[in-house]
Amino acid sequence: MMHDHDHTSAAHGPVTRAGETADDTVRYAEASHAEASHGAHAHEHDSHGGIGKYLLVFLALCFLTTMSFFTYSAAWPWKDQPQVGWAFMMAVSCTKALLVVLFFMHVFWEANWKYVLTIPAAMMAIFLAIMLIPDIGMRNRMVSQERALHMARAADLRLLEEAGAASAEAPAHAPAH
Amino acid sequence: MNASAISIPHGSAGHDMPHGSGGHDGDHGHGDHGHGHVTLQYQPGLPLSRGKLIMWLFLSTEIMFFAALLGSYVVLRFGAAVWPKPHHVHLSEPIGAFNTFVLICSSVTIVLALEAARVNKAGLAKTWMLLTLLLGTLFLGIKAYEYQAKFSHGIYPWAPHGLIHERPDLYYGSAVRARLGEPAMIDRLKELDDAPADSLTAEALVARGRLQQVRKMVANPDQQAFDMAVVADQVMPLPAEAADHHGAGHGLNDVFPWLRLPMVIPGGNMWASTYFLLTGFHAIHVIVGLIVFAILLGYRLNASRAGMIENAGLYWHFVDLVWIFLFPLMYLF
Repeated sequence: MMHDHDHTSAAHGPVTRAGETADDTVRYAEASHAEASHGAHAHEHDSHGGIGKYLLVFLALCFLTTMSFFTYSAAWPWKDQPQVGWAFMMAVSCTKALLVVLFFMHVFWEANWKYVLTIPAAMMAIFLAIMLIPDIGMRNRMVSQERALHMARAADLRLLEEAGAASAEAPAHAPAH
Repeated sequence: MNASAISIPHGSAGHDMPHGSGGHDGDHGHGDHGHGHVTLQYQPGLPLSRGKLIMWLFLSTEIMFFAALLGSYVVLRFGAAVWPKPHHVHLSEPIGAFNTFVLICSSVTIVLALEAARVNKAGLAKTWMLLTLLLGTLFLGIKAYEYQAKFSHGIYPWAPHGLIHERPDLYYGSAVRARLGEPAMIDRLKELDDAPADSLTAEALVARGRLQQVRKMVANPDQQAFDMAVVADQVMPLPAEAADHHGAGHGLNDVFPWLRLPMVIPGGNMWASTYFLLTGFHAIHVIVGLIVFAILLGYRLNASRAGMIENAGLYWHFVDLVWIFLFPLMYLF
């Protein structure tokens, strides 16, 4: 009978225990107490990191932020190839994200349940973004004439830059510059 | 025996009973209540507390939420024929980098609050928590300042306030003409034209001449395509490079803020929509985090609260995480 009991409770999670002797209750109380203290002990054990490790991660994050800011500075050598900067910044961001998730969110020290939650969510996230490509990413491949008339083009940007250069050259036009 | 172990009345019969007592069949159930000590035993399915499990489940939905937003942004941006450069829309990279630094610092302080609470140093934990709250508020303050800078330049995500036109074309020219032809505007322009030269600053005096030229250009029936680009450059020039301050602060809209003339930023409307949507949702998350910290500050943050602090921290780190991607995508791409 007792076996049956345990079985049900395991399957249903929290269960109001009824019809037990006082002994049983005490036994359960002891068991749960033991479990709690064990849990606390385990926590102490994987109280990992310590403040030194957090500060190390903090310094790494600051350094990486400076690195992605570096792409904006004049010293960045690949000014004419923005793709290099984009790839670099995404690599830096992913590294930063990994550092935050692993150490600040303690995932590095967690049990295997972390994969159950993070991997499906990450896959869904990636698929979500990919699914947007045909309808949104390629929306300008085929546009109506009406829309083509009103949407900005690279030529407009060039026109504005030329106008800016012209007004900068002609002091009579815009002497404020 | 097995059935009586679960003493929760189940099925519709239990719900219909006015007092519930009728739901019990037999003395057995009553007898249990008589003992007065009902022990609950929890057997977690995963080796983590329920609060933390729920927080992680919530965060996994948040991953998808922000992935959809960030994914849309990336796809919209790279599918667009033109996308404004950060300096075209008055984004300041140093301010964005500083805000990144502020959020990283707040992530560290919340982690330190948790560590302090775990070793039962409640006072220290509260100090770190308060510091986190202040850093989060600083982040929001800087964000508000940035929003204000956009609004003052006529960059709004919605139509009635937004002044952004996509192209310097005839439609743009007629929009400028229409704005200059508004009755209130005619009065202001007349006032400006009649103002004696010594009552204006040197810059306003020059700008008055530029404005008169712009009015002539948009009114000219024989205008050329290039003229509209010149008008747009006079109203609100696109800075050529971040380092080079060509025309920054010298547009007619800057000198005479009451003008609010339409301006041209190719791709600017889509940029404004995505910028305000992404940073806005992020800011809402920051606000929620700050509310949580403010509530936690009302408790004694000793070891028994470590779980609460950990969950709040998990959420806060996620908010930091989103910004880690938002910053390069928005400010540096």
